[in-house]
Amino acid sequence: MKVLLVDDEQKFALMLAKRLELRGIQTAVFFSGETALKTVEQGNRFDVAILDVKMPGIGGIDLKRRLGQLDERMKFVFLTGHGSTIDSSAGAQEAENYLPKPLQIDVLIETLNRLTEG
Amino acid sequence: MAESLNKISGTLLPQFNRSDDEHLNPYYTFQDYRQTWGMTIFTLMTTALLPLVVMTLIYYQLIETSINTESLLRTERLASNARRAVTFFLEERLAALTFTVNEMGYDQLTNPNSLAEVLRNLKLGFGGLTDLSVIADSGTQVTYAGPFNLEGKDYSNQPWFIECQQHNACVSEIFSGYREVPHVVVAVKSMRPDGRFFVLRATLETERMIQVLSSYKTGEHADIFLVNRNGLLQTPSQFYEGASHQVNLPVPAYSDRTKAVMSTDHSGQPILIGYAFIDTKIAPTSFILMVIKQKAGMMKVWLDLRSNINWFFGISAIIIALVITLTSTVMVNKIFQADRQKAETMVAAERNCQLASIGQLAAGVAHEINNPLALINETAGYVRDLFTIKQQYKEDPDLVEHIDSIIEAVERCGTITRQLLGFARHFDVQSQPINLNDMVADVINFHKKEAEYRNIKIQVNIPETIPLIETDRGKLQQIILNLVNNAFQAIDNGCFLDVWAETVEGDEQVRLFIRDNGCGISEDHLNKVFEPFFTTKKEGHGTGLGLSITYGLVKKLHGNITVQSKTGQGTTFVISLPVKLKEEIHV
Repeated sequence: MKVLLVDDEQKFALMLAKRLELRGIQTAVFFSGETALKTVEQGNRFDVAILDVKMPGIGGIDLKRRLGQLDERMKFVFLTGHGSTIDSSAGAQEAENYLPKPLQIDVLIETLNRLTEG
Repeated sequence: MAESLNKISGTLLPQFNRSDDEHLNPYYTFQDYRQTWGMTIFTLMTTALLPLVVMTLIYYQLIETSINTESLLRTERLASNARRAVTFFLEERLAALTFTVNEMGYDQLTNPNSLAEVLRNLKLGFGGLTDLSVIADSGTQVTYAGPFNLEGKDYSNQPWFIECQQHNACVSEIFSGYREVPHVVVAVKSMRPDGRFFVLRATLETERMIQVLSSYKTGEHADIFLVNRNGLLQTPSQFYEGASHQVNLPVPAYSDRTKAVMSTDHSGQPILIGYAFIDTKIAPTSFILMVIKQKAGMMKVWLDLRSNINWFFGISAIIIALVITLTSTVMVNKIFQADRQKAETMVAAERNCQLASIGQLAAGVAHEINNPLALINETAGYVRDLFTIKQQYKEDPDLVEHIDSIIEAVERCGTITRQLLGFARHFDVQSQPINLNDMVADVINFHKKEAEYRNIKIQVNIPETIPLIETDRGKLQQIILNLVNNAFQAIDNGCFLDVWAETVEGDEQVRLFIRDNGCGISEDHLNKVFEPFFTTKKEGHGTGLGLSITYGLVKKLHGNITVQSKTGQGTTFVISLPVKLKEEIHV
């Protein structure tokens, strides 16, 4: 499984990437939407993108739309520091999977597995 | 009876119960409603009744003055007429005597037959004469004609004889004299051819004079009589005769014309006195004519009228006072109620504001904490991963346990920040039609297993008449979920949970009731349950945010939430929501 992780919180992103790598998940880390977009434009392909919702520049929701245009098969997981899982039912229709920070790693792994199996 | 009295006094005297509202004091427009009420009544009464009272008093004064003036005038006129009549009566007889002495002379008059003839003629012509006599200058009676035999009597010391010598004619006071019958003497002096004088004297019947006076008496309260200048009654008085025929009124001072004055009688009753000093053209007299009228008698008609006016005025004043009091009570009470409502609203608004600002602050703090928290979580998680996933550290479960407790603490903090952030979502409210019954059924479904296991009876009664609510599905679901969770935590095994709904305000609002018979909330805690971080649960078991978030969500849906509770008896939460959410809200 190849995962694209985009979060402007650099230490957090790196630490999460390490944990995913430990579990055998190949992770590419980017600290902004722009750089992540560039790598996909260059032809790199990922199974799942884990995106922080709120980032300077291109935010998670916008990035999802643009990445989706480049690679229709890509699945998405959102990370948010702004609320709970209830947010998804409260109207963020674009989100398929919302995970609040701080993360529970088991829930993330389970979500990733579900998305790639489906 | 006592009950209806209480009711009336309740209507007229407002209570303005302020015993339980000290917290509202700063928001009241008027502090002392009893004083406001009193001032209102006083002002209205004064403006309504004062002009009426003043006008009435002025009217009374005017009427009384005009009646007094009129009465004085009438009394004076009456006295004047009576004076003329008495004066004429005396003058007429004096003139007849003067004519007789001038016409007949001393010799003829001293002839008893011709004197008797003259007396007969005078009686025929004028009347009112009793006898006639000729008195020599020595005072001895020479000739007499009349019913009494008084020949040879000496009158030289009689006051009238002395006066007659001086003034050529005289009118005596009324006296009894030798004959011992009250009478008046009129006499004229004349000269004999030898230069000596003689006096022709006539006795007048007092009855005739009394008749003349009585003819002027008007009304039962009037009195008319003659007194001499010492106040001795000359003719009888009906009301004012004192000891030894003395009049019991002050003798008026001399005046050459008729007068009328106000005075009081011996018993203090107000009276009108008309008086005139009687003098004939031929001889002066000592008579004073007095006309007395009792004021009360004259004023009776006016006093009766005034009494009626007073009654009318009194009853009107009572009605005005009642209407003013009633109106003031109702109006001031309405103002009081409105003011109280306003104050309550202000207090509630202030509290909402405080809650909202605490919420905003909490959300800000939560957001700031969330990122470092996420980093701690991942770092600790990574260390844990190293221990559990890499084989070389696997043998040390003690370290893993420590790291697990860090992760658990982070997870607990995460729960708090997530809930805090629920205060200030960045997402819009999206409204859609919701069947309340279905939604409650969904939420209850989550707890079905737990209810069965704990033997909790859940009763849902949402009638089909409840309309579809247009509101935010997620938020409403969260509200109901939170309250049902709350109830489940509060109740023991074997208790019940009731959920029901009703429409209010003409189907524009829906009210949802969630009632449990659990432990209840004490009175001290009841007004704090919606405040953030307030919890009665054991440390580590509750964040104290559940109900404050619920409160925030209900407000976001333009609704209202209230709680009623009694320790040991259970709690009822009531949520009121508009059937149609008017506008989208951005927080």
